[in-house]
Amino acid sequence: MILKLMKKEWKELIKTGKIYALLFPFLFFSILSPVIAKFTPEIIKSLTSTQDMQGIIIKIPPPTWKDAFLQFFKNLNQIVFLVIAIVFLGSISEEKNKGTAAIMVTLGIDRKEWVIAKFLFQVLVVFSLIFLSYILCVYYTYFLFSEVGIYETIASTFLYLVYIFFILSLCIFSSSIGNNMLQSVGIFFAIFVLFTLFSIFPNLEPYNPLTLSSLQNQWIVKGVIWKDAIENISTVIIYSVILITLGIIYFEQQEL
Amino acid sequence: MNVIETYNLCKYYKEKRAVDNLNLGVPEGVIFGYLGPNGAGKTTTIRLLLNLAKPTSGYAVVLGENITKSRKYLKKVGFLPDVPNFYNYFTAREYLELLSEIIKVDKKRVDEVLEIVGLKSEKKRIGTFSRGMKQRLGIAQALLSDPQILILDEPASALDPQGRKEVLDLIASLRGEKTVFFSTHILSDVERICDRVGILKEGKLILNDTIDNLKKRFSKRILHIEVNNPQKLFEKLKKENWIESISFSDKNALLIRVKEIQRAQREIPRIIVEEDILIDRFEFLEPTLEDIFFEVIS
Ligand SMILES: Nc1ncnc2c1ncn2[C@@H]1O[C@H](COP(=O)(O)OP(=O)(O)OP(=O)(O)O)[C@@H](O)[C@H]1O
Ligand SMILES: [Mg+2]
Repeated sequence: MILKLMKKEWKELIKTGKIYALLFPFLFFSILSPVIAKFTPEIIKSLTSTQDMQGIIIKIPPPTWKDAFLQFFKNLNQIVFLVIAIVFLGSISEEKNKGTAAIMVTLGIDRKEWVIAKFLFQVLVVFSLIFLSYILCVYYTYFLFSEVGIYETIASTFLYLVYIFFILSLCIFSSSIGNNMLQSVGIFFAIFVLFTLFSIFPNLEPYNPLTLSSLQNQWIVKGVIWKDAIENISTVIIYSVILITLGIIYFEQQEL
Repeated sequence: MNVIETYNLCKYYKEKRAVDNLNLGVPEGVIFGYLGPNGAGKTTTIRLLLNLAKPTSGYAVVLGENITKSRKYLKKVGFLPDVPNFYNYFTAREYLELLSEIIKVDKKRVDEVLEIVGLKSEKKRIGTFSRGMKQRLGIAQALLSDPQILILDEPASALDPQGRKEVLDLIASLRGEKTVFFSTHILSDVERICDRVGILKEGKLILNDTIDNLKKRFSKRILHIEVNNPQKLFEKLKKENWIESISFSDKNALLIRVKEIQRAQREIPRIIVEEDILIDRFEFLEPTLEDIFFEVIS
């Protein structure tokens, strides 16, 4: 049943055109990030040479593949993150709001399986897109810089996958609790902001999912140190499992 | 055997008693009309029966399963919500085919149910459907798994006269084969196809019986009398305490509701003779469901 439910989600993603809302940002930033990294210094240089800033000497080190991937993760963490949240935050709550969730559960579809199918589907889609973006970004980076650190980029992308896994479970949780898209958005950002506030306390770092983003950058710049991330990865996975479980339990009990 | 039974079923919203101590039994194979004015608690009862809402207290047994403990029975129940909504981006066929895969029903069944509700050649997306078309699709969906019980919340409310007749005929054709529990405001529909009715008022079941029994219970309490001088008879009768109400139904005729049928049978002819009135017609009327409905809810 879970597979068939996932197929329904897939067809819906295509029919509603939401697939493009996901696909384009991923494609766009995986290609654009290396390009931006390559040409930003040159653009700045050309600006300073044409205008009345000629006296000022700006020293910019020549960009490397590292800059390309720093750009890549910056964009994934900002814009793509937002797109994911917007596309998936209504997945349960809007079905509750419109009454389609009621129809599905009265057909005898197990509520638990219904939620799990949604989550697995979202993980599958987003992970595939991240995989695709990674390949593209590596390709263009190599094309522009003639070198790329495969090990570092794979390790950092892995951290990103863990992070997105957490974000998707937070989406499912918020969507299960909220009764419409707006409420879910509110719950989602409230929790997200809470974690952002946690970043103020350095000793909470290992327990904060957002630390994963800064680790990504560190690994790209300074090299991979797994020891730094183990604790963080485990806690983030535990958070995700808790969020999913709570989301399911809540949905099981809920009146539709 | 009852396929639906409720035991002191209650659903309270804050101070509002939407369903109050409901004890209802629906025998297998009957067409059950669930009646009541707006806000009586019909939809709430249906939502409780389908596990969409949780009872405040009490419970129900559907097809032998306690619905507060198990949800397996839902596979054997078809449901049409009062305001049906679907995934708008699909066509009716795509939608039902997807459902049939999920609930493991043969795809051929999709053609059958689309044929039944007259949407077979409809190629538009569901989002562009009119309310009536959505209601038809909802009925198709309820029939998809060939369930033992159909629970329909106002199945004909958005349909045109033709569509309403078709749906009622369809429900009538299921008699004996499936149990149909449907809520409605339209009394003539109930009278046409139902075996049993339950009347709900402010969350309480005030009546639950077969239509035949109801008619027997309430008949012979309405009298239609035609005389040459209705005014005189009217003046005489309106003082009597065994009369409930009396009105002119047309120029020469009186419509009289009586409390005690035997006194009416004895007294009215006596008054007519005493007052030297000429009688044209003296008839006990068969009450319509409408009469009964208004009598019990007032
Ligand atoms: N979720 C809810 N929260 C608060 N009150 C509710 C809720 N659902 C229903 N009610 C109240 O319960 C009562 C019964 O509502 P219900 O929808 O069951 O009536 P109904 O018989 O189906 O009416 P209609 O004929 O208009 O469809 C109403 O007074 C309604 O306001
Ligand atoms: Mg209703």
